[in-house]
Amino acid sequence: MSTTTTRNNKSWFRRNLGEISLQVILISIGLFVALPIIIAILTSFKLPNDVTNYPPTLIPKIWTFENYVTAWTSKPFGRFFLNSVIQTGVIVFFQVIFSIMAAYAFSILEFPGRDMLFYVIVASLMVPFQLTFIPNFILISQLGWANTYMGLTVPFLASAFGVFLLRQFFLTIPKDLHDSARIDGAGNWRFLWQILVPLSKGGISAFAIFSFLAAWSQYLWPLIITNEENMRTIQIGIRFFLFDQERGADWGAIMAAAVIALLPTLLIFLIAQRQLVKGIAMTGLKG
Amino acid sequence: MSQTAQIEQTSQPSAQSRKRRKTWNKVKAAIEGYLYLTPTLIILAIFVYIPIFTSFRLSLTRIAPFGNQTIFVGIGNYARLFADPDYLNSLKVTLMFTLVVVPVGIILAVLLAIALSYPVRHLSWFHRLLIFVPIVISTAVTGVLFRWIYHPVVGYLNYGLSLVGIDGPNWLSSKDWALFAVAFAVVWRGLGFNVIIALAGIQNIDATYYEAAKVDGANMWQRIRNITLPLLSPTLFFLLIINVINTLQVFGEINILTEGGPGGATNTMLYSIYYDAFVGTPFRGYASAQAYLLFIVILIISFIQFRILGKRVHYQ
Repeated sequence: MSTTTTRNNKSWFRRNLGEISLQVILISIGLFVALPIIIAILTSFKLPNDVTNYPPTLIPKIWTFENYVTAWTSKPFGRFFLNSVIQTGVIVFFQVIFSIMAAYAFSILEFPGRDMLFYVIVASLMVPFQLTFIPNFILISQLGWANTYMGLTVPFLASAFGVFLLRQFFLTIPKDLHDSARIDGAGNWRFLWQILVPLSKGGISAFAIFSFLAAWSQYLWPLIITNEENMRTIQIGIRFFLFDQERGADWGAIMAAAVIALLPTLLIFLIAQRQLVKGIAMTGLKG
Repeated sequence: MSQTAQIEQTSQPSAQSRKRRKTWNKVKAAIEGYLYLTPTLIILAIFVYIPIFTSFRLSLTRIAPFGNQTIFVGIGNYARLFADPDYLNSLKVTLMFTLVVVPVGIILAVLLAIALSYPVRHLSWFHRLLIFVPIVISTAVTGVLFRWIYHPVVGYLNYGLSLVGIDGPNWLSSKDWALFAVAFAVVWRGLGFNVIIALAGIQNIDATYYEAAKVDGANMWQRIRNITLPLLSPTLFFLLIINVINTLQVFGEINILTEGGPGGATNTMLYSIYYDAFVGTPFRGYASAQAYLLFIVILIISFIQFRILGKRVHYQ
């Protein structure tokens, strides 16, 4: 009896050897890739003296929220977070609306110069940010928009990538739909928002995710356009927190701050991984 | 709307007014089209297109040492750049940085994509989750995470190395290692993106090639070498270009990990632009000249991509 079980086990093991070894390889690679994030999350829950223990351990001896309290109270992280939410919210909202409008004009409407203008807009993807950020900084400062939400958001309210991506989606909608809506008396504006947009929900939400990730992660622009602590976004907030803290070396609190900053994007990733991956594979762009 | 209007129009025939009506409808449609584009065009004009010219004009000027006088210096800034050892160093650093980040990033991504392309019965979502997750991590958070990992005393990297008997350096303040340390963080953040592109390329390869090779008795390594890699070459080329361009634009990790140091060891072309324009006394004309040179480099690379990829698509 017992021998047959072992033999069965053995053959099961042998039959699945390929699968098992592949699983082991893939899981260990995956854990290795995700390790920096895992370390950050685990470190953020350690007690301060546990953080700097040598040799370092992964799992906290005692789990605690102390670092989150320290981070949240020693710098206005609530304000940083709110700034990021406002900055990202405004950018995503306008990028989505403006891109829908432009993509509509480029895919459904007909007017002279249409295709030329489309290439003009797409060509702006070739202009790197480092060419424009100095003149933009000067312009925004002259407008008195440094350290304001206007300064943080206005330069990014339109997205050539969004126009390009949504146009692709709108082109898949049969043109008859537009014609019949027109015959039924719906103007372009109504057709766009009441028929086309609901039909293109997948594409629009994919673009909104890209737009969110890019806006939330912005670094260079908010770094130069804000110098008042109150107007920092969370990304800039953790940078200054790190440089402040390093003398005190409260790495637990620094990791807690980093986890606060990465939490929204991590949530989006867990919810919308499939869409995100599809979007990248389809366009070859990160937004 | 326009069609009903036209039908009504025919009931009171007058060739001239019908023609006028038609032109009017065309003009109206054109105006409507432009209105839909207006917000996007205005924003892009102000913050992308006009700055291309402002930037160039700036690059021909400098601020007089006393007061706010702007002096026109022609190509003076450009001429000065090529005699500036700091700038020449930043060219060298950028080249080295790119030569580390791009090949390492692509090779790792292709290996991972090949591993992920094997059909696994369970948990394939979990593997992808773990390997793709760095996509959503910002440059600032990447910098902070790796600053902790590279910590010279209690950092996980040096602890890991000590287990195999290596005495790890102080990664970020070592002139020899800082560039590699920053490069590795950048590779990590870009990995998910590269794997997704590579995986999509691999999954596009017709399965019959592999079946035929199996019948012919080709082993796994031969299949990868003779089928996967050659058929993946358009994808690899795309990855090469996009990674070079992205690497030229790396900023956050450098700013947080090393601030261009130690001694300029990680002062890339972009970091040098930022430094000259915003740290200490601003030299915005000088920085703009550097920005223009970097723009030209990126433009040339994009142009090569356009030419070669265009050809490939054409001949396929």
